[in-house]
Amino acid sequence: MKQNRREFITKSTCALGMATLATQVEHFGLMTALAQKTDDAQTDAPSDYRALVCLFMAGGNDGNNTIIPNHSDANLSNYTTYFNARNAAGLAIPQSSLLPISVPKMGGLTYGLNPALGPMTQNGNTIVNNGIHELWAQGKMAVVANAGTLVAPLTRAQYQNRSVARPFQLFSHSDQVSQYQGGRADQQTFTGWGGRISDLRTAPDNPNGLVPMITSINGAQLFTAGQTTLPLAIANSLTPLNQVLNPQLTGVGTTTRLAAFNELRTQDLSSNYIKAASNITDQAMQANSALGNNPMEVTVAFPNTGLGYQLKQVARLIKKRTDLTVNRQVFYVQIGSFDTHNGQLAGQGNLLTQFSQAVRSFYNEMVTQGISDKVTLFTMSDFSRTLNPAGVGASAGSDHAWANHLFVLGGSVLGGDFYGTNTSNGTPYPNLTMNGPDDADSGTTARGRWIPTTSVEQYAATLARWYGLPETNMSSVFPNYNNFISTGTNLGFMQP
Amino acid sequence: MMNRNSRLWWQILSASFVIFLLSFVAMAETDPNPDSPTPVLISESKDSLRALATSPDRLGRTNLSSLKSRAFMPNSRVVLYATNFEFLADEGANSVRLYVEDAKGRKYRFPVLDVSPLRGQQWVYALTVELRDELGFWEQPEANGDVLVGITWRGLASNRVRLAFGKTGGNIKDDEGAVPTPFPTSPINNPGSGQQPDTVGYLYSGDRVRFLEQATFGPTPALDERIRRIGLRTWLAEQFDAPYPTNPYPNIPLMPTNISDECRATTNCARDHYTQYPLQNWFFKEAFYGDAQLKHRVAWSLSQLWVVSGVDTQQSSHMIAYHQLLSKNAFGNYRTLMNDITLNPGMGNYLDMVRSTKNNPNENYAREILQLFSVGLFMLNQDGTLQRDASNNPIPTYDQDTVNNFTKVFTGWTTCEVTALCPNRTQGAPNYKDPMILNQNNHDVTAKTLLDYPNAVNKNIAAGLNGNTEMQMALDNIFYHPNVAPFVSRILIQHHVTSDPTPAYVGRISAVFNNNGSGVRGDLKAVVKAILLDPEARGNAKTDPNYGKLREPVQLATNVYRHFGVKSADLTTQSDGYVWQIIAPLGQNAFYSPTVFNYYPPDYVVPGPGLNGPEFAILTTGTAIGRANFMNTIIFNRVNVGAYTLTGTAINLAEMQALAAADTTSNQLLDTLNVKMMHGTMTAQNKATIMTAVNAVAATDSLTRARTAIYLIATSSQYQVQR
Repeated sequence: MKQNRREFITKSTCALGMATLATQVEHFGLMTALAQKTDDAQTDAPSDYRALVCLFMAGGNDGNNTIIPNHSDANLSNYTTYFNARNAAGLAIPQSSLLPISVPKMGGLTYGLNPALGPMTQNGNTIVNNGIHELWAQGKMAVVANAGTLVAPLTRAQYQNRSVARPFQLFSHSDQVSQYQGGRADQQTFTGWGGRISDLRTAPDNPNGLVPMITSINGAQLFTAGQTTLPLAIANSLTPLNQVLNPQLTGVGTTTRLAAFNELRTQDLSSNYIKAASNITDQAMQANSALGNNPMEVTVAFPNTGLGYQLKQVARLIKKRTDLTVNRQVFYVQIGSFDTHNGQLAGQGNLLTQFSQAVRSFYNEMVTQGISDKVTLFTMSDFSRTLNPAGVGASAGSDHAWANHLFVLGGSVLGGDFYGTNTSNGTPYPNLTMNGPDDADSGTTARGRWIPTTSVEQYAATLARWYGLPETNMSSVFPNYNNFISTGTNLGFMQP
Repeated sequence: MMNRNSRLWWQILSASFVIFLLSFVAMAETDPNPDSPTPVLISESKDSLRALATSPDRLGRTNLSSLKSRAFMPNSRVVLYATNFEFLADEGANSVRLYVEDAKGRKYRFPVLDVSPLRGQQWVYALTVELRDELGFWEQPEANGDVLVGITWRGLASNRVRLAFGKTGGNIKDDEGAVPTPFPTSPINNPGSGQQPDTVGYLYSGDRVRFLEQATFGPTPALDERIRRIGLRTWLAEQFDAPYPTNPYPNIPLMPTNISDECRATTNCARDHYTQYPLQNWFFKEAFYGDAQLKHRVAWSLSQLWVVSGVDTQQSSHMIAYHQLLSKNAFGNYRTLMNDITLNPGMGNYLDMVRSTKNNPNENYAREILQLFSVGLFMLNQDGTLQRDASNNPIPTYDQDTVNNFTKVFTGWTTCEVTALCPNRTQGAPNYKDPMILNQNNHDVTAKTLLDYPNAVNKNIAAGLNGNTEMQMALDNIFYHPNVAPFVSRILIQHHVTSDPTPAYVGRISAVFNNNGSGVRGDLKAVVKAILLDPEARGNAKTDPNYGKLREPVQLATNVYRHFGVKSADLTTQSDGYVWQIIAPLGQNAFYSPTVFNYYPPDYVVPGPGLNGPEFAILTTGTAIGRANFMNTIIFNRVNVGAYTLTGTAINLAEMQALAAADTTSNQLLDTLNVKMMHGTMTAQNKATIMTAVNAVAATDSLTRARTAIYLIATSSQYQVQR
C-alpha cells in the first residue's frame, strides 16, 4: 500500500517532534500543497508520467564542429565554407567522416554530425552502443539550430547599434550559464527555470510526492534552484539509490545518536545560515526514507563514464517513480570540459563520444522501461565557440561565442529535422561567413560568433509546455516570455 | 674619541635601545576589548513592541515621546530610532543593515540610507530607511500588515520591533522574550559582554577561538594558549615573519609530457609526478602541523581566487611551482602576485596564454584575469556595492573589445627553454618552474586600448612596443582600476570571516588595499591584518542571523582534526596528510577545482533568506549527508595505513575520553567541547540534546561517549556554520 504524504510526514517525524515538522514542511515546499489539499486533489493530479532531463554541456560545446554542412549548395553555407574557415588551423573535420543527416527544413540537404556521435567500436568498456546518430533517422532526435541567450529578438543591425538590449556579459562563462539556466538574459536571477517550474507544479502534479520534483545528479545548480523548493541532489550510480543519502553510524548508541543528530536541526534556526544548512540536511534525511527500500536496477548497459553514471541514476529514479509517488520530474545531469580553447579535435571528440554513448544507453533504457515517449532529454551549454580557430595543429581550439545547436531526444520528439526561428538565409541554420549577416563580430578580425535567432525561452517554453506547464504560468517562469511571442513560443519539435 | 669605558657604555645603551625598540614594536599595539555594544531599536513606549517611527520630514520637529506611529507605504522613507552604537570615524549607514520578516516568514533587507545622531540627544541615532527590499530573492513584500524589523551592526543583532507596513495589524508574532525598548533619556551604556582589557594577555576566550578559525586551519590548545598570552596583534606580527613552509615543499623534478615506459613501470612514479598527490598530501600536512598557519591559509584563499586546477595541470611539479608563487606573495604586493601568476607556466597552460600568438590569439587568460582575478564584471563602489546607471542597471567594467585588446597584449609568451635564462630548464621536459618568456616574433605589436576608468593608467598602448613592456603596462592598467580593492577585499573577507560582509567592512579593507598607510597600494599583509582585526570580525559573541559562513569541506576537516591533535593512524607520529580523498566527495578536492570558477562562486545566494553564501553552492542533500559520514569516518574510525598512506591519519581522543570517564554526568566533556569547538555558543538546549545521546552510552564506555559528543557537535549545522 502506498503511503500518502501526510502519513509519511507523520511517520518520519514523530520521533523529532512538531518543531521539525514545521521546518520540514516549510523547506519541502509542501505548505502550498497542504494548504490546497482537498479530498479531490488526487483527481487533479495528472494521470500519466512525464520527465524532462536537462543535460548541460559545461564549458561551451562548439556547435560548429557538432553539426556541419555536408552539402555543396552554393546558396547556403556549405562544406567548403566550413572547411575554408577551419582547415588551415587544423580544426576542420574531414567531410568523409561526417555522419550524414537529411534535413527537411533545409530543403532535404544533407548535414553531418560529428563522427563521435556514431558507432564507436574500439576501446572496449566505454563503447557500448551505436550512439545517437541512428535516432535521427528514427525520428527520435531533433536539433534546435542557432539558439542562445536573448533579451528580445535581435538583428545584426540592432546588435551593432544597440537599439535592442543585449544579454549582459556575452561570452563570459558564468553569466551565460546562469542565463541559460536562469531563463532570462536581462538580469541575474537567484532561481532557475527548472526550479521555478518545480515551485509552481509540485503541489498540483505531485500531491503525494515523497521526493522533490526536481533532482540534480550533479550538485547544486542554478537550473534546479527554486524560490520555495530545493532540489534533491544525489550522487551518481556508483552509489546505489538506497545508500545515496544514508548516514553511516558506527559504534553503539546509534539510535539515540541519530535522534540527537536530528533534534539539533530544530534548534538555533534564528541564524539564517544554520537554518539553511539544517534545511538541506533535513531534506536529505527525508528523501533517504523514501529511497531506503526497493532499489531499482536498470537493464541496459551504461558506459562507465561520469555522464553514464549520472544518467543511469536518473533511469533508476524514473523506474522508481511509482514508489516515490511522483507524476512529473525534472532531472539535471552535466558533462564538463567543453571549454576547448585548445586541443579541440581530440578533446571535443572524446566528450561527444561520452555524451552520445551515455544518452543512447539512457534512451534505450527508457524504451526498455516502456516509457520513452514520457521522457524527453534536451541539451544546453554555455555558448558555442568561434568559427575562427584559436591556435594551430593538434593544439587548435576555439574561443567563446554565442548561438549554438541543441539536441532534443525522446519518443515524443518530432525528430529528424532542424527547428528554430530562421536566420538571415531563411533557414534555421546560420550563414557561416565571418563578418557575414549572422556574425556578432564585424570587421576584418571578425571570428564568427553567430547571433541567436531562437531564444532559450522559446526552446524552454516548448519543453515546459509538453511537460504540462500551463500557458498562464509561462511568463512567471520565463520573465521575458512576452518578448518572443512574435517569433513563436512553440518551436514545434514536441508532439502536442 | 671615546675611551673603552664609554664605548662599553655606548654599546650597552645602544643594545638597550634596540631591546627597547623591539619591545616597543611588540607592545605597540595592545588588543582592545573586541566586543562592540549591541544596538537597540527603540520602541514607541515602555508598553509597546512597535517601532518608534516617523516620516523623514518630521525629523527634528516632532515630540518623539508622544508620537503614535502609523502605517507606512511601500517605497516610502521612514525614520527609525536606535541607540547603543559606537561608530568609528567613517562608520555610518553602510555599516548598519535592516532586516525585515513578514507574516509568511520571508526575509527581506531594506536599504538604510542615512544614520545620524539626534541633536541634543547624541546617543540616539535616526535611521532613514526606504521601505523596499534590496535583496531581490522574493518579490517585494506585500504591504498588508505588521512586519518585524531588526538591525544588525558588526555581526550583532538588535531586538526586533513591529512596523506597520501598508496597514496596521496582521498575525505576525513578536519574538519570544521581546521587551519594550522605550526612548532612552541618557546613554544606556551597554558595552557588550567582554572582559575589560585591564588584565595582561588576551582573555576573550570566545574571540580567541573565532580568530583562530579565521586565521588558521583550526584552533589548537597550543595556539589558543599562545594568543591568550601575547594577544592578536603580536601573534600577527610573529606570523608575518614566520618561516614558511614548516614541511618543505615536495621536490618533484620536471618530467616529459609523455610518460616514459620506465616511469610507468616504476611504482608510484606516475602518481608522484603526474598527479597532484604529493602536493595534496603536503598541503594537508602543512595545514595540520605548519607553524606559519596564516601564510598557508592566505595562500589557500589566493589559490581559490587565482585558480589553476589539477584537472588540466599535468604534473605535481607544475602545480607546486604555482603554489610557491602564491605563498611567496601572500604577504607581498598584489601587483607582484599579478605579475608572477600571469607569467607562471601552470597558469599559462591552464588558461592558454602559453600558446596564444599574434596569428592564433586565445582570449581565455585575457578574459579571466579581468573577470575573476582583478576587476570583475561590473563597476563597484569602494565599499563593494554595485554602481548603477540612470536606469538602475549595473555598469559593465569592460566589453568584448577590451578582452580582444588584452588578448593581443598577452600574445607571444612561452615556457622558458633557454638554459642561460632559466635555471630549472630540464632537457626533454617543458619548463613549468621558471616564468614564461616572450617570443617577440609571436607578439601582436598593434596598438591597444585597455580598461578605461577615471585617470586610467596606460589606457592606450602604442603600436610597436616590446611585449615585456606591454605586459607591465597592461598589468598596471588593471592594478590601478578602482574595482581591484573592493573586488579582492570582499573575496578575502568571505574566505576568512563572513560570507555577506557589510559594505562598511569591505570599504575599510578597500581603503587599506588602496593605501596601507604608507602610500603603498596592494599591500596584502596590511589587507590581511585589517580583515582579521576589523570590529566586524572581532567579538566574543556574534548574534547577527546573517553573520558567518558555512565551513568549506577543507576547513571543516582541518578544524576537527586540529581540535583533537591529529596524528598517524597509530597515534605515534605525524599524519602524512593523506586525507584529501575523504574530503573530495564533499565537493572540494583540493587543487582539483572543477573549473576556473573555483569550487564555489563568491556570489552564490543561499535559497530562502536570499543571502550571499558562497560555500552553500556545494552543500546539497548529497554532500550534507557526506559531511555527516565524513565525521563518522574520522571520529569513529580513521584513515588506515595503506598503499597511498604510510602513516594513516587519526584524531587523538585520550583527553576527551578522560573527561568522559572522570565525570559520568558528561558536563565536563560537553563544557570543554563547547569552549574548544563552539567558542561558548552551545545553548543549554543543544547541550541537553547532546547529553541525552552521550549518556545513553554506558558510562564505562568513555571512548564512545567522547566520540558521540564530538560527532554530534561536528555534524551540527551550529558547528558547520562558522560564526
